Amino acid sequence: MLERKVVSPEYMFFEAPREKKYLIGNEAVAEAVKRANVDMVISYPITPQSEATHIVGDIYAQGYVKDYYRGEDEFNVMSAMAGAAMGGVRAFTATSGPGTLRAFEMFPCWAGERLPIVCAFMTRGVNSPLTIQPDNIEIGWLADTGMLIFHAEDPQDFFDMILQAYVIAEQPDVHLPVGVCADGFFVTHTREIVELTPEDEMLPPYDPSVSPVVTMDMETVPVRHMKDPFVMKSNYISYNTHASWQQEVRAAAERARKYITRYMGSPVEVVHPGAEILFMASGTAAAQARVAMERMRAEGIDIGLVKIKVIRPFPEKEITELAEVPRIIIIPEHNITGWLARDIKSRVNNNAKIYGGPRVFGGMTMPPEMLVEETKKLLLNLVTA
Amino acid sequence: MEALKVSPGFEKILPQEYQELVEDGPYGRGLAVKDLGTFKEVIEEHPLCAGCGLGLAIRLILASLPDPGNTIIVGTTGCNSIVMPQVAIHNIHALFGNQSSVASGLKRALRLRYPDKTKDVVVIAGDGGVADIGLAPTMHSWFRRENITTIMLDNEGYSNTGGQESGMTRQGVVVNMAPVGKKFPKIPLHEIAKAAGCAYVATVTPARARRLGQMAKRAILIARDIGPTYVQIFCPCSTNYKFPPSETLKRAKETEITEYMSPEAQEFIEKIEKESQSRGGKE
Amino acid sequence: MSTLLGFPKNGYKVVPGPETYLSPSAAAMGVVLPNEGEALIEGDIVPEEVAYEEIANRLLSARNPTLFPGPLVLWAWSEKAVAKARALLEMVGEVPGMKIIPMPDYRPKYPMINPKVEINPNHPNLTIWHNNIDVCVFVGVHCHFANLALKIIRAGTDCYTIALCGQRGHEDAMITLRDVHAEEVMDLTDTIRKVKMERLSC
Repeated sequence: MLERKVVSPEYMFFEAPREKKYLIGNEAVAEAVKRANVDMVISYPITPQSEATHIVGDIYAQGYVKDYYRGEDEFNVMSAMAGAAMGGVRAFTATSGPGTLRAFEMFPCWAGERLPIVCAFMTRGVNSPLTIQPDNIEIGWLADTGMLIFHAEDPQDFFDMILQAYVIAEQPDVHLPVGVCADGFFVTHTREIVELTPEDEMLPPYDPSVSPVVTMDMETVPVRHMKDPFVMKSNYISYNTHASWQQEVRAAAERARKYITRYMGSPVEVVHPGAEILFMASGTAAAQARVAMERMRAEGIDIGLVKIKVIRPFPEKEITELAEVPRIIIIPEHNITGWLARDIKSRVNNNAKIYGGPRVFGGMTMPPEMLVEETKKLLLNLVTA
Repeated sequence: MEALKVSPGFEKILPQEYQELVEDGPYGRGLAVKDLGTFKEVIEEHPLCAGCGLGLAIRLILASLPDPGNTIIVGTTGCNSIVMPQVAIHNIHALFGNQSSVASGLKRALRLRYPDKTKDVVVIAGDGGVADIGLAPTMHSWFRRENITTIMLDNEGYSNTGGQESGMTRQGVVVNMAPVGKKFPKIPLHEIAKAAGCAYVATVTPARARRLGQMAKRAILIARDIGPTYVQIFCPCSTNYKFPPSETLKRAKETEITEYMSPEAQEFIEKIEKESQSRGGKE
Repeated sequence: MSTLLGFPKNGYKVVPGPETYLSPSAAAMGVVLPNEGEALIEGDIVPEEVAYEEIANRLLSARNPTLFPGPLVLWAWSEKAVAKARALLEMVGEVPGMKIIPMPDYRPKYPMINPKVEINPNHPNLTIWHNNIDVCVFVGVHCHFANLALKIIRAGTDCYTIALCGQRGHEDAMITLRDVHAEEVMDLTDTIRKVKMERLSC
């Protein structure tokens, strides 16, 4: 193991030199975990995630992570992550599709418990029939758990977002779990250039003493404390407390906006914002839309792209403002439900101009040619109509 | 204990129960079941039914913790969990059935943060929570040899949800969800625990108060260095089994008291109990 | 975004209630926490000094000002906690008639709270009502529980809430300072003394 030094998040994100490496997304995850100064990792095999936590296992063996084990299933891995975070350490895990669903009861629990856990979701289709292929339907479900949700476009995003996630998650006024999502295989198994910060520099350690909730170590006051205290008597007071608790979890996500701007620049990336037609997309769909956009612009079509990096807290202000200008908004997605289109449509004033699609799923790819063709067909339909 | 010293000037404004806890609590005093009634217990008023065997068992366990100032309890949904908010020891309720995995993460985290201190992580959960919905994480925490004590409060059913059959209900008993009688025998979890790697396994009842206290203490001490431990406490439920609350202890006596120690655990217990006796110490 | 309908989209003010059946969290209504050197008064960002003066005025004008010290200052778990507790007692001494009611822990009190001697974040309104508290100061409460309590107080009572936060502050309080440790409490006490003198000389 290299001798390492602690650097500030600001230095690591904005000033540190970067070295180019040719990595798949799963390797980029392990590189991020190494620099994130993670205390504990708990793993469980599932494709397409497994490789990331194999490599994290290797860096544990080298001494970069202090504790590591393979849990018995995803629900219990997420439960053990909660125990670790309640005990005051920085924890990491990763899962995919069916694993996400197996573990699901724990995600709103993490948020309610105000635990700053970072979990990578290498998204995958869910059964039945069985598939191991990319499909990000699970992000739509995760979006309502109270967790912060980021969506990476490529291995570079995946690396950066995991590091940013820890810094944002652990702010005392936020202190929420973050799901960093990337589309399985398209990102996890695709080799691209990733610019890495120096291997011997890591984030400052997690400081549980600034937590907005009680760390369960019998060192933190008060000692008469259940995490979390029951508020389940049948009366107005109990219902009101639970309601207020839920509101506070959402309030914490609102507070994250300031730190998202500080550390991620913006929750969205905008290319050609004044265009007549806009793709709005996240993850791999944004990558494919980027290519399709360039091809159409070369043909003289006035089209731009809004890449949505942060799914929760939803960039409501940015999206409603950006939606004012174009005549047509197209939302391509890698899932059948169209959760991103639903999110955007419900917030934009004139949503008749929003076209939720094209969508592919079950492992199907989204070729830029198809996006170009579908966009042109849409334009033709609109003209003939 | 730092966390229970009052800031100067605030002593008199604390509610009575806290003033008593500060002046006369059990932390760091090495107390035991026989000392009950002579100190301020960590438990406050609780909402369990009259004649609840489980309420008594919890009181006895809490009075037997070897180091209450460095103990964190992990529980799960059930009758026991509605007592725990009133207990002056950090305790966790996450979800139903995940207590042993939460405890695994917690124990490891505390080991990282306090390498020079022993933090006892003790799972206290009901029979449904341990033997049914939480069986996999319970057994896996044993397979992994986590340094955790698991204490099952066995009232032979799901009492808090209205008296349904659990895996620990006896064969033939008619309860909710077993309308024609339970069709398979009580799960022999104490036997399974030995095969799964527990260094100490005991079955006991709150009717044998001092024995229960001794077993809880042994289980926690052995879990520190030797390996996982399991104590199963039979706690009859008068509400759902519909017998008078005054009969709880009589029925509790029906269970067999058993104690198993691995050779290593046996050697360890003999050593520390001999040391304790030579110091004229407590049980 | 509010979960109720009766609030304007912009310009939400964090003012004494009773507000409504279920108050929104101020953060959801667009109120943002102050940066270093700043504070919040009724949802608006102000320089810290302005908030110090306003707190002094509110406390000195109050009929029944009350300090709610939470576990982080009630218990002597660190040297910083002890220093802050000392500073708070000195502050209370400068405010005529100021009482102290503790929040020793966060459990919903069973079987019922004695609102005369303590406050609880799950039903803080009971203590405010029972003691007719018109201005209160929260300090040393873990932020999650402070926010819970402050919002419930705004929903159900007309009490003016002040939060002296050791971290980033509380949108749900009518006035909040951030980064408040022993030294800042002493500064606040100095401001209280100064405002008292000004009032006497008027």
